[in-house]
Amino acid sequence: MNKLLLAALVTGALSAPAFAADYTIMAPAGPGGGWDQTARTMQEALQAEGISGNVQVTNVPGAGGTIGLAQFATQENGNPNALIVGGYVMVGAILTNMSPVSLDNVTPIARLTGEAVALVVPAASDIESVDDLVAALKADPGAVAWAGGSAGGVDHITAGLIAQAVDVDPTQVNYIAYSGGGEALAAILGGQVTVGLSGVSEFASQIEAGELRLLAVSTDTRVPGFDAPTLMEEGVDVAVQNWRMVAAAPGITDEQKAAITADVKAMAESATWQSALETRGWVDTYLDGDAFATQLEADKSATEAILKDIGLVQ
Amino acid sequence: METFDLLAQGLLSALQVHNLIYALIGVTLGTAVGVLPGIGPALTVALLLPVTYKLDPGGSLIMFAGIYYGGMYGGSTTSILLNTPGESASIVTALEGNKMARQGRGGPALATAAIGSFVAGLLATLGLAFIAPFVVKFALSFGPWDYFALMVLAFVTVSAAFGDSALRGLTALFIGLGLGLIGIDLQTGQTRLAFNVMDLLDGIEVTTLAVALFAIGETLKTASDRDQANTEVTAVKGSVWMTLEDWKRSWASWLRGTFIGFPIGAMPAGGADVASFLSYSTEKTFSKKPEEFGNGAIEGVAGPEAANNASAAGTLVPLLTLGLPTTATAAIMLAGFQQFGLQPGPLLFANNAPLVWALIASLLVANFMLLVLNLPLIGLWVRLLTIPKHWLYAGILTFATLGTLGANGAMSMGFGPVRISFELVLLLAFGILGYLLRRFGYPIAPVVVGLILGPMAEQQLRRALAISQGDIGVLFSSPISIVLYVAAIIAVGVPMILRLRGQGGVLGQLATDED
Amino acid sequence: MTTGSSKPERRPDGAALVIAAILAGLAAIIFWQTSQMRLPPIQQRVGPTVFPYVIASGLVLLAIGTVVSAMRGSFPERSKDDYKPIFWIVGGLIGQILLLSTAGFSIGTGVLFAFTAKAFGRGPLWQTIPIGTVFAFAVWFIFAKGLQLSLPAGALERLLTTGTPF
Repeated sequence: MNKLLLAALVTGALSAPAFAADYTIMAPAGPGGGWDQTARTMQEALQAEGISGNVQVTNVPGAGGTIGLAQFATQENGNPNALIVGGYVMVGAILTNMSPVSLDNVTPIARLTGEAVALVVPAASDIESVDDLVAALKADPGAVAWAGGSAGGVDHITAGLIAQAVDVDPTQVNYIAYSGGGEALAAILGGQVTVGLSGVSEFASQIEAGELRLLAVSTDTRVPGFDAPTLMEEGVDVAVQNWRMVAAAPGITDEQKAAITADVKAMAESATWQSALETRGWVDTYLDGDAFATQLEADKSATEAILKDIGLVQ
Repeated sequence: METFDLLAQGLLSALQVHNLIYALIGVTLGTAVGVLPGIGPALTVALLLPVTYKLDPGGSLIMFAGIYYGGMYGGSTTSILLNTPGESASIVTALEGNKMARQGRGGPALATAAIGSFVAGLLATLGLAFIAPFVVKFALSFGPWDYFALMVLAFVTVSAAFGDSALRGLTALFIGLGLGLIGIDLQTGQTRLAFNVMDLLDGIEVTTLAVALFAIGETLKTASDRDQANTEVTAVKGSVWMTLEDWKRSWASWLRGTFIGFPIGAMPAGGADVASFLSYSTEKTFSKKPEEFGNGAIEGVAGPEAANNASAAGTLVPLLTLGLPTTATAAIMLAGFQQFGLQPGPLLFANNAPLVWALIASLLVANFMLLVLNLPLIGLWVRLLTIPKHWLYAGILTFATLGTLGANGAMSMGFGPVRISFELVLLLAFGILGYLLRRFGYPIAPVVVGLILGPMAEQQLRRALAISQGDIGVLFSSPISIVLYVAAIIAVGVPMILRLRGQGGVLGQLATDED
Repeated sequence: MTTGSSKPERRPDGAALVIAAILAGLAAIIFWQTSQMRLPPIQQRVGPTVFPYVIASGLVLLAIGTVVSAMRGSFPERSKDDYKPIFWIVGGLIGQILLLSTAGFSIGTGVLFAFTAKAFGRGPLWQTIPIGTVFAFAVWFIFAKGLQLSLPAGALERLLTTGTPF
């Protein structure tokens, strides 16, 4: 019931002059979340840098972004002014929800940011390190309750990959889904679950205050500002990054795609965007063109494989 | 005490004339938008938040506080006068409040709501200031097993309290529970009962159901019922103000409502709606005149309205101390706080003390302004009822569809060039359902209660059993859950025993003893 | 509304039997849809099908109870409702749903407004549709322009805000 109910909250620049490229960015999530913030930061940067005169953000929340994605793919066909924000969570959600629309039905433009998944335990927990966690998991997989976001999301995938990497049957992972990082946080702080998973930024203030112990981060490099190893360093061969991207409508011409890519690249390199990344604690992982397409394909097949192993996708 | 110093400083700055004007503007805007049927507090806050960005931090904070409390309060006015709650927490207010309004007692109903909101807002804001760390510890200690017990208590008391026929009350509840099944199952990602409609993947929106059943259903019923269509509503019978009797019956309800609302609002899986349901059943249990419930008992307005506002302040407890938004409104506010440079979390009180206390002071001032603004307006609000019915209901439907469109109204379906909003189709379908339920004597509120509580109960039960690896004993393993189950047994058992022994009056004496 | 105002002859209540049938139908849909679900092999003590089956079973029991109640004629007496206003209001809502994307918020909602007024006996439509449209435009302007709520705009809204209908 904590679904966010709005398609509003637009910080309006009403009197902006009309440039050639006006964009409408769909955030396929409610206000306040990562995708919404990405869309609104893009809006701010595109307008402040004069790349686009008028940028509107719309929210279509629900189902790991697949509701918004389906709407975007069917309604914006051929529209060179329509953009959608998305990310890794969508890859998993498309598979678990058996969504009729996939990322093949839109035109991915570029990866913008990435965030590590943090593996945390309450400060009072016996588990001091990844080794302790692995030992507990091997002793009795069911006794380790993992709290994170919705089933099949990046948190769940990370839990499954960790189990797989240490030779524990991923279907035995006792994963408890919460409707968001916040609700999971409450369960972790309350000591009702063994270990928690969510984006580093969700837990940052609790880690800083010493209420949560950060065991490891999921990316292949350490996260600046946090004194924690990567899973790889701890001998668990897992590297997951929760990336966010921007895609354009299906059915646009190559010229239109090139023009949008140029705009997005200019935005990503702009001072406004870079300073916004810093204040929000996002890591710049900009990637476009063929390199992004290759990475996307690799992520899709890896995700499908692990979701099948966990048992969420047949 | 440092706390008092900080609060005093905050109050001093909040009481400057220009800040008072900002508070008044915020409260006015919040009430004005919140009062529109179909536009709940979340939408109100989201819409008005950008207005505050243009001011200096102190001014925007205080205006924001006004908008928040104004939006929370505004919904009760139309619930009471027109039986059209714009959101789930005002539903129980409509139950008794609208009955009162129909007897020409709309004035006292609005007054007890306004004063109750003020009392609850005052106490809960002070609670936020002084006992937030303890409350949050208590709220965090609620495990899924405790939440499940809380849901059981809510189900039991709610189904005992609504309607005059157990069969029809339960049927309404089960319709709501059935609607609650629709959408993606959080624990497994599997789709249930979505019939390949994308818009159903995320489930039925509570606001849409509530607005449809109440606003649309009420309009259909009023228009079609010949007796009702021809009766002139008396706007005011007797005094617009509360009588001494009203005061006597209200004050304890305000306090009980506050006591229920504040902690439940602070719970990560609580919320104003659950608090208002529990408060309503509590009032019915404690009332000296339980027979008046269903016919316009003032306690049934006073308690839930206080609970509603107390839980609004309670929501700020996890939001400020943990950075944890527990409702849609709170999630939007989190974005607002970040705009003011507040970083909610465990270190907030340490790092941002002046701003936090300025916020708390602003809430206190806004709460006071709300009372100042609304008490004199009551006479004006009740005149809403003198608007000719054809314009009044045409206006209600305009705002009901506007709120639905604005919140979830994407044009997601299409036939050729015509695109339609699936959410409006749902609004229509549930509106007809609301009419049929009224026509055949089914209570409306349990449908919404089922939709809200059903999915919560299911998720919490499954989480509890997953954590315990299937051991049912976990449900009865914590002291909190045992207390809640005992309360549930008492809630059902005591009235039943008393009824069997034909000593309904004893309940009243019990209440007197406890006061 | 009071219970037990049963008519002396105690004939089975036809409408109540229809309600019972609808409840049973709902239960059947839930049973059928739930049985079609493909269950993931992951560890689930209480899986995603348990609650649907419990609720559907409850609906079956309630349907049976409703039949019993219908036979006894213990449903509350119903007011004599006039269906014409309902058709007007439902027609207005359908009209609004269909018109929003083409004619825009003001005209679509103006139709809803006028049809609702008509249901309460206020006409004629050639008068009330313009009144409703003006009212809806004012509301649209405040919310869409003043408060940035995303509401569908049509030719009328564009004409009045930008000077051209496109």
